[in-house]
Amino acid sequence: MVLKKELMNKKQNNHAWREKLTNILAQFANYLLILIIALVIGALVMYLSGRDPISAYGALWEGAFGNGYRFADTLDRSTIMILAGIAGSIAFRTNIINLGLEGQLYIGAFTAAWVGFTFTNLPSIVHIPLCIIAGILGGALWTLPVLYLKLRWKIPELVPTLMLNYIAIRLTDYLIAFPFRDPTAPMAGSPLVAASARLPKLIKGSTINIGFIIAIVLIFISYWFIFKTKVGYEMRMVGLNQDFAAAAGLPVKKSIILAMLMSGGIIGLGGALMILGFFGRFLGGFSSGYGWDGFMIAIVAQNHPFAVFPAALFFGALANGALTMQSVTGVPQAVVAMVKGTLVLFVTVKIFLENIRKGLKKWVM
Amino acid sequence: MGNVDLRSILTIALFASALRMATPIIFATMGGIFSSHTGIFNVGLEGMMLIGSFFAVYGSVQTGSAYGGLLYAIIACLVVSLLFAVLHLELKANPIIVGLALNIFAVGMTNYLLTALLEVYGVYKTDLIVGFNELEIPLINQIPILGKLISGHFPLVYFSFVSVYIVYLILYKTPFGFHLRAVGEKIDAAESIGVNTKKMKYYGLLVSGLFCAFGGTFLSLSYLTLFSEEMTAGRGWLALAAINFGRMRPVPSLMACLVFGFADALAVRLQQFGLPSQVVLMLPYIMTVIVLFISAIIAERRKKSSLKKGEEDVEFSPS
Repeated sequence: MVLKKELMNKKQNNHAWREKLTNILAQFANYLLILIIALVIGALVMYLSGRDPISAYGALWEGAFGNGYRFADTLDRSTIMILAGIAGSIAFRTNIINLGLEGQLYIGAFTAAWVGFTFTNLPSIVHIPLCIIAGILGGALWTLPVLYLKLRWKIPELVPTLMLNYIAIRLTDYLIAFPFRDPTAPMAGSPLVAASARLPKLIKGSTINIGFIIAIVLIFISYWFIFKTKVGYEMRMVGLNQDFAAAAGLPVKKSIILAMLMSGGIIGLGGALMILGFFGRFLGGFSSGYGWDGFMIAIVAQNHPFAVFPAALFFGALANGALTMQSVTGVPQAVVAMVKGTLVLFVTVKIFLENIRKGLKKWVM
Repeated sequence: MGNVDLRSILTIALFASALRMATPIIFATMGGIFSSHTGIFNVGLEGMMLIGSFFAVYGSVQTGSAYGGLLYAIIACLVVSLLFAVLHLELKANPIIVGLALNIFAVGMTNYLLTALLEVYGVYKTDLIVGFNELEIPLINQIPILGKLISGHFPLVYFSFVSVYIVYLILYKTPFGFHLRAVGEKIDAAESIGVNTKKMKYYGLLVSGLFCAFGGTFLSLSYLTLFSEEMTAGRGWLALAAINFGRMRPVPSLMACLVFGFADALAVRLQQFGLPSQVVLMLPYIMTVIVLFISAIIAERRKKSSLKKGEEDVEFSPS
């Protein structure tokens, strides 16, 4: 009798394990399929416009991973992608569609730069954290108008967050054109941040700096926060079903405020790291759509911090590789934006995954 | 900056250009209204309009006619909105994400084609692009002030205002419009009276694509005859705010479009008075947030007053 029960337990465990395996395999196959679709569409567009897709993708790969330095540069580029992806994920987890990442990035970058060039006689150990805190605060506080409109007046965040992007970009353009203009800057830009605010580099010959390590650490922190803390649990529940969460007595307002502030703060941190680590000053239009990359990475990663890393690396590789592709083969780098767009379009398609899962069940079960 | 006289800013020309600036927003709004009534909040208007702008210019060069450009834009936008519809309705993708991805895809696609097809970066402007001509309306252009305001616009400006009335007629005076609205309001009820709800959603999305083609064509073939990267500059999003303000009704939404058009025109005008362009160009976007804010206040007031009256069903049909 006991033996039989144990056997049944074992059988059930076995079953659950197989179910899990099927799911993981199905997810993997689904991503592979979507990736192939996206790359094929990119290739098709290149082919139809008279370019050679194979040499273009070859140059892209070479540019992203061709040698150690290029790989390091790709990792550096993925720093901002990771932070943007996590910023997007945290908002989406709470069912907030934060389309304002781009604007929050600009404001965070500017406030960090301001602290960087205004204070000049601080030791690095004080100056860098101060700049970073300024960046986080800048990005977070820029979401306050949206929070007010959403919580007090029930205006969905979709349009206001987007409008604040345009406002933020023009506001920072104004700031570097008039009050904080540096006439010696090569493009419209703020003065250089003090040397004490620059992030230490990790390798000579590459732009990679300690910002990358900060981003990696943040992946683990955000995983712990979302899945292992009470506040993170509340936020996830609010995201799954707000009415249900409210009925269960969970703090809906607090979760929404926290998610929005964290989302803005993290992308603001990303802005700070870009200025302190890469550019050295605030430059007008410095972001080539990193906020939007973050939005796409979060969707591709299905809001899981650990999945953000490979997605961010992929996006970073596309960004860096595209530059080489354009200069070597003459294929416009805009083609990668189409690849990314296609990727996002198909990630949300549920039918592939269902069919793959059905097919796999026959094999695994 | 100090000696800006209000009378020298608020000229007839300013109001005339407000009508012009409102035109693309009106088209996008009317398109968005159609899909909103079937229950799909189309956030891809921006991207569709951008694709329309590009293909209008491309078609104009290919065919040597502005109307040829319009035709190209319509075909391109219908193809893209069909793609949207298939992804959402057949492959069950989330419409908000499809719309947003479409916007990103549209920027990438138009930038790519700009370089790959037309071999320029950033802006495409040649004499080969044939734009629309202004339309002088006989008799009306003789009237002193009104003539300046109403006559001498591009044909699509007039058509955008006419389209508001057409949309109103279709939505509220035809059985088709009744069925379409039923899909968004009470989908079960619509199904029970034999409406093919999926077909209606297809129509909603395709019509919004059609309108975006008009909006996009206006942007690139009327006042300006060129295509530049991301030239829609958020107008698709202003349209969403206008739909929200008008609660999906054509005429009230038109009012919001006119406010946005005025803000746009004012921004251009104020630049000529030496105000920093970066600051005044924020105006349309700030105005959008304000319009949303006002519509939320109105909605709350309405709710309160109807509660006082003791009406039970507050959220009734938006018609």
